[in-house]
Amino acid sequence: MPIHEKSLIRPENLVEHENLVIDGVDVSGHWSTFIESRALSDYNENMQDEIEALAGGEHISRCWQCGSCTNACTVNAINPDFNPRFWIYLIRLGMEEELVRDKDIIWQCVSCNKCTYACPRDVNPEGVMKATAHWLELKGHTKKKPSMVFDEAFSQQVFDTGKIEDGLVLRQFMKRTGQPLTQPWLVALVMGLVRRFPVFYLMRLGLATVFRPRTKGWIKARAAIHEYVEEVETANRKALGLDAKGAE
Amino acid sequence: MSKPVLIVGGGPAGLSAAHAVASSGHSAVIVDKADRLGGAPILSGYAKLVPSHEWASDAIGGMVSRVDRNKLVDVHLNTTVASFSGEPGNFTAMLKDGGRIEAGAAILTTGFTHFDSVNKPEWGFGTYPDVVTTVQVEQMLSSGAGVKCPSDGRAPDRVAILLCVGSRDRQIGREWCSKICCTVSANIAMEIRESLPNSNVYIYYMDIRTFGLLEGPYYWESQETHKVKYIKARIAEVTSDGKRLLVKGEDTLVKRPISIPFDMVVHAIGMDPNVDNMTISAVFDVKLNKYGFVEKPSAYLHMGETSRPGVFVAGAATGPETIDDSIAQAQAAAMAALNMLRASVMEAAE
Repeated sequence: MPIHEKSLIRPENLVEHENLVIDGVDVSGHWSTFIESRALSDYNENMQDEIEALAGGEHISRCWQCGSCTNACTVNAINPDFNPRFWIYLIRLGMEEELVRDKDIIWQCVSCNKCTYACPRDVNPEGVMKATAHWLELKGHTKKKPSMVFDEAFSQQVFDTGKIEDGLVLRQFMKRTGQPLTQPWLVALVMGLVRRFPVFYLMRLGLATVFRPRTKGWIKARAAIHEYVEEVETANRKALGLDAKGAE
Repeated sequence: MSKPVLIVGGGPAGLSAAHAVASSGHSAVIVDKADRLGGAPILSGYAKLVPSHEWASDAIGGMVSRVDRNKLVDVHLNTTVASFSGEPGNFTAMLKDGGRIEAGAAILTTGFTHFDSVNKPEWGFGTYPDVVTTVQVEQMLSSGAGVKCPSDGRAPDRVAILLCVGSRDRQIGREWCSKICCTVSANIAMEIRESLPNSNVYIYYMDIRTFGLLEGPYYWESQETHKVKYIKARIAEVTSDGKRLLVKGEDTLVKRPISIPFDMVVHAIGMDPNVDNMTISAVFDVKLNKYGFVEKPSAYLHMGETSRPGVFVAGAATGPETIDDSIAQAQAAAMAALNMLRASVMEAAE
């Protein structure tokens, strides 16, 4: 199993002077190539606390870097750059810049939880991955993932009505992610449905679209859920040192 | 009645041996070069002990007063054994202050000497006042003065504890693991975090050896509850930028050179053989092992024996040792000494 290896020299750390003369010697171009210091001096010491405050990240300080999570990882087997052990370490030490470099792969965790069962210290690395993806999003380093957009549309409906109307979830998801509704698979699905001509089902579908049924007596539950969600979101943003309400 | 048991050194092991000998109705004589009993925990001013969390002054102080009260134990302070002659059951020890002790057996509980960090100059001790040892931090805690930077008395914001200072190092001829420093450092780290909640404490390690049951209450507890951060690196050098200390090394887990500012650097110093071991070896005619500690024969068939019959050994005189194990070993050595005396009395009777 490959251990995560970072190339120590990044292109941006290679410096070359186009025109440089030192002591009368022309060292222009590749003669003046040098590597900028790799030593780190910039640390965000709040980072561990921030991840700890988000759901899933509670036990990150337990990690002792054995690498069981990375060894067990489904995604790591395909992409050696996906290394939960390494990211946990960066977070614990506050190497923010280094972590943000991997923002485009951190969210690829498939939540198989093999790491969860391998971890001898019960760190819950899968939860840490979730918390980290959430952290990157809240801090504005990454955009919302499509799955997050879907989850939001889905849960917003449940919160509002206590019910799910599949057609609406689908329409909202396509709209919010800027995709046309006429997806080939969706068209095929609808055509297949129409061809069988289930009159009663189609009538119910049509009625639901128009009347948006609600669970009886949902108002109280809705208020409680909204209150709770807002509480958690406010706490999350506060822990990360962000304003009460960020840009959606 | 056979002659008393001579106990050389009045630290935890010596106090334990004296108590064990006296408890079985036999007399004991303690000789200690210091001006009071208690050994390293008392003389060096340790704070809370591992694993009991009791203050050293209470725990070891209790052992001292127990021996002080015991009429069967005679104590000679401020002196050392200058010569030691005779045979098992009939030894004569001449003290440096002119005293003379007739003894049936001797137990060496001469302990260790703290490693002197000056021997690792690259880590800044002796050059920068804010580079201190674990013993100094223990004293800051036990005296009630609190953890402060010696240079200007400010409370440190960032503290680095370097493990294996004077241990596991061929460069300075110390190839042993001092066994207790990992746990002591975790303990100190937790105490610093408790007294200075805004501080950040980092431990630089090669391995963490909080052996046995100490794993949970020290290593894990310090990480999980007290948020002490462990970094796998052996520090290359400690310098200063004029304001703060600069710790340089390689963070081996990310394969990256590190250069981090700190307010205080603590050396987790190891246990050296007692500086007097060459003298002790010559006076008592006991062999030292290749590291300079008092040699013990096979661990399985002998109780606290040395290379000389009638002279026994216990505690950190034989190698890095915990207080608890020193106490247990001293009881075993006391039993061995009493057994030998009883056997020689029976032989004489026949």
